[in-house]
Amino acid sequence: MNGIYQGLIIASAVPPFLRLWRGPNFWDRVAGANGVNVRVALVLALEGIAGGKAVLLDVALGYALLGFLGAVLLARFGERGER
Amino acid sequence: MRPVADLLIGAGILLLAIGGLGFIRFRDSYSRLQAAGVGDLGGALLVVAGAALRASRAWEVGILGLLGLLLLFTGPVATHAIAKGAFLRRHAPRGER
Repeated sequence: MNGIYQGLIIASAVPPFLRLWRGPNFWDRVAGANGVNVRVALVLALEGIAGGKAVLLDVALGYALLGFLGAVLLARFGERGER
Repeated sequence: MRPVADLLIGAGILLLAIGGLGFIRFRDSYSRLQAAGVGDLGGALLVVAGAALRASRAWEVGILGLLGLLLLFTGPVATHAIAKGAFLRRHAPRGER
């Protein structure tokens, strides 16, 4: 029973990762990266609570913030047309 | 408390899996962004709420609340930024090229 939630969330991160990898255009890749980032932050938070490693909660918070900044920066970068 | 937390986390993981399915099954980029925004935000908030119910110390609940608020406010902004960029670059939906 230990870590089954984390494993299921990692399994649900496979389709966004496929979209990030194969995605036909730039916007699909950014959306896939955003989905993978959200799921990784959730895995970190669950591991911090259920696994007893409380430091990972802070790591999850920072990771979610940096993932959001990366998605918005990539979107603005692609909007200006320098792909 | 524990069964409620398990129920919330399970429902959140189900939503995340359905949203992930939308990532590969939908037809064009805007539909996939819709699946990503709705499914990811709901699933993430449910998982964070379930984890907060399982927390044993008060500051862990506080940090999980911060994480939930961060996801709640940044998820739609990121989805909107991506969709706006795609729209401004004249990225046409499938079948309307």
